[in-house]
Amino acid sequence: MRRFVLVLANDIRRHLRSPWTLLIFIAIPLFMTALIGIIFAPRSEGKELPPIPVLVVDNDKGLGSKLLVGAFDADQLKEMFLVTVTDQADGDKRMAKGKASAMVVIPKGFTLDLLEAKPVTLLVVKNPAEQFLPDVVEEFMKTLAVMLSGAVQAFAEEVKGLRAMLDLKLDSFPWERLAPEFGKAQKKVVAAAKYLDPLLIRFKTEETRAAGARPPVSAASIFAVILPGMAIMFLLFIVQTIMRDLLSEREDGKLRRMMTTPLRPLELIGARIAGGWIMGLLVLAVMVAVGTLVFRVAWGPFGYFLLLAAVAAFWTAAFFALFHALVRSRNQAGALGAPIILAFSLFGGSMMNPEVMPKAFKAVGVVTPNRWFIDGAALVREGRFPLLSLAVLFASGLVLLALAVPALRRRISV
Amino acid sequence: MRTLRRILHVAANDLRIMVSDKVFFFWTLAFPVLFIVLFAVVFKAGDNAPDEAGIVVVNQDQGRWGAYFIDKIRTPGVAVTVADKEPETYDRLLVLPPEFSARIEARRDQALALKKRENASARAAARVETRLYQAIARTLSELILYGDGDLTKFLDGHPEFRDIVLVESRFPAKTVTVVPSGYDHTIPGTTIQFIMMMVMIYGGISVMEDRKKGILGRLLFSPLSPGGLFRAKLLGRWLMGLLQALMLFTIGRIFVGLNLGNVPLALLVIAVFALAMSALSVFIGSVCSKEDLIIGLSVLLANLFAALGGCWWPNEIVPPAVRTVARISPAYWAMDALHKLTFFRGGFADVAPALAVLGTLAVVLTAVAGKAFRIRD
Repeated sequence: MRRFVLVLANDIRRHLRSPWTLLIFIAIPLFMTALIGIIFAPRSEGKELPPIPVLVVDNDKGLGSKLLVGAFDADQLKEMFLVTVTDQADGDKRMAKGKASAMVVIPKGFTLDLLEAKPVTLLVVKNPAEQFLPDVVEEFMKTLAVMLSGAVQAFAEEVKGLRAMLDLKLDSFPWERLAPEFGKAQKKVVAAAKYLDPLLIRFKTEETRAAGARPPVSAASIFAVILPGMAIMFLLFIVQTIMRDLLSEREDGKLRRMMTTPLRPLELIGARIAGGWIMGLLVLAVMVAVGTLVFRVAWGPFGYFLLLAAVAAFWTAAFFALFHALVRSRNQAGALGAPIILAFSLFGGSMMNPEVMPKAFKAVGVVTPNRWFIDGAALVREGRFPLLSLAVLFASGLVLLALAVPALRRRISV
Repeated sequence: MRTLRRILHVAANDLRIMVSDKVFFFWTLAFPVLFIVLFAVVFKAGDNAPDEAGIVVVNQDQGRWGAYFIDKIRTPGVAVTVADKEPETYDRLLVLPPEFSARIEARRDQALALKKRENASARAAARVETRLYQAIARTLSELILYGDGDLTKFLDGHPEFRDIVLVESRFPAKTVTVVPSGYDHTIPGTTIQFIMMMVMIYGGISVMEDRKKGILGRLLFSPLSPGGLFRAKLLGRWLMGLLQALMLFTIGRIFVGLNLGNVPLALLVIAVFALAMSALSVFIGSVCSKEDLIIGLSVLLANLFAALGGCWWPNEIVPPAVRTVARISPAYWAMDALHKLTFFRGGFADVAPALAVLGTLAVVLTAVAGKAFRIRD
């Protein structure tokens, strides 16, 4: 036992003495969490997207086009769209360079066509390099178009008078002739008010949660959602690096020399696996501490999370013990280890929210530790005990350990 | 000329050693392809940008207006499912109450329950909601046109809403004519990311190992000077990056019809970018003495550059401040140039600024790597 403790303590001291690799592998998930969190943090209500740059080309410069451009000036829309009014040539030039999400072109004669209730087409030029924002602009313009169409139809007769006015000199048109038209328009406005104020049909929006569904990600919880995935991914990298000693010591002859001492193979194996486990736990503890202090992550009941972290670190140590017992050389371990970790992370949900992943990827993810750790951390966040995650990780960890120890003994005795 | 041949010989040998490694194909081909498929599926056909956004309408209305209103909601891009009662699974649900028709006919306002699942796509919800508002606007316009008449007889004959103002959409002239696929976004992004990863990790480790094992020292017995050796190492890593890009672009072209626009210019962009990354890999391999440190640094830099540069997600959804910071990433300039070629069918003048930035970076990094390059520890 004493020899076991000595080897273990020496290993941990050695790793902590040259901490650069360890620090970089701890820094990566924290950097990535910060970046992804900043980009994907839900913004305030109704502002799920960044402001959308829109160019408006007014080739009409009439009353109708001014009303249309003015629609973008409403307070809520000002936050949603960054509108720049420009001319066709400049707009085309900017769109060709991808400087806006979309360009709205109001055609020449737009106002006159509206007044005559003639069909008129607004053009939305979309940025081909963007997938979402141009569609938002198009949908918004379609809604505006429906409202304008409705208004034009409703007041078609009345606007005919206005149309006639536009063709005549200011002093040649008897304004009093418009009085009956204004009278009719007033009646329609009064009648329309019955439907518009309050709106005859409106919505009462309510957010619901499906049975068993997790709460949605909020700005406050996004780091708590991302960090566990990143943490387990880089825990795998770190423990793999630490446990690669099993091979490097064999290759450079250190192991043979150690075996000439009274140290027994089982003590050495135990110390190496325990070393991987403790270092893994230490690394997770650092990530949790930084997550709590910097990202204000609420992990849920701390005891539950600590238990989950301990079991995940145990699984990782057992897995890499078996892995290093099976590979032939350090180079092979280096070459195979990283792809395995990345595959675990890709399928297990460290690189992407499992809920948006294709079904096939989700199914493969079930055999990865990442998936169980991420699921467990989500349950702990909700204040629930992650029994299934713990059971799966612990039981499979034990199986890996049972396979690793005899395999490593054979390796060491060579 | 002879020196050039020797440099080429050493570089080709480096490339041969890397290619003969079986895992090389995992890193250069298998894993990037998995990445491409996942990101293409998620950002194209997934919940983020569905071809059809669905809504379930529970029609409990005891009159005729419910069916009439549902017809107004049915528009291209919105899949309407009518149900008698609230189903267990839905993303968005609209309830038309039993008195829906009666209230309209009595000209009494009403608020319809619109339920949205918390985790459903916000973008799909936005599309459905705009269509719902359009349906209301159409219905109200018809009611206003109908005037004070008896609304119980409205559906027997009424003035129809006409779309007088229409909206047409297209892409800018001389650019793409069809909606780009998810692969058109993810293949260039993943290629850029994995060039960074591969060149930095493989390139850095092999420079470090060659130095530590004395291979670089032994190579000096050949007629190559230390400068020639540096150029040979740089060239080997550059060829590796180019080879990887060629493989991924070819696979993209064959299987998903990837269209890069001007292919020679796209390759020029990749070539200049790969040169910058090669110099960075020689630098990292020269200053680091531990394999794990090189892997860690390379993973950190490649992931940060990729995330900032728009290799993982469309840059349009990124906050403006992050977009500004992203300019420090070489991946940003490479992606910017590839986007101009792929989506805007740009020419040399369009990618010249990005090429100038990448070229300057390549020159600076080559100079720095040349200074740091060591034959022995």
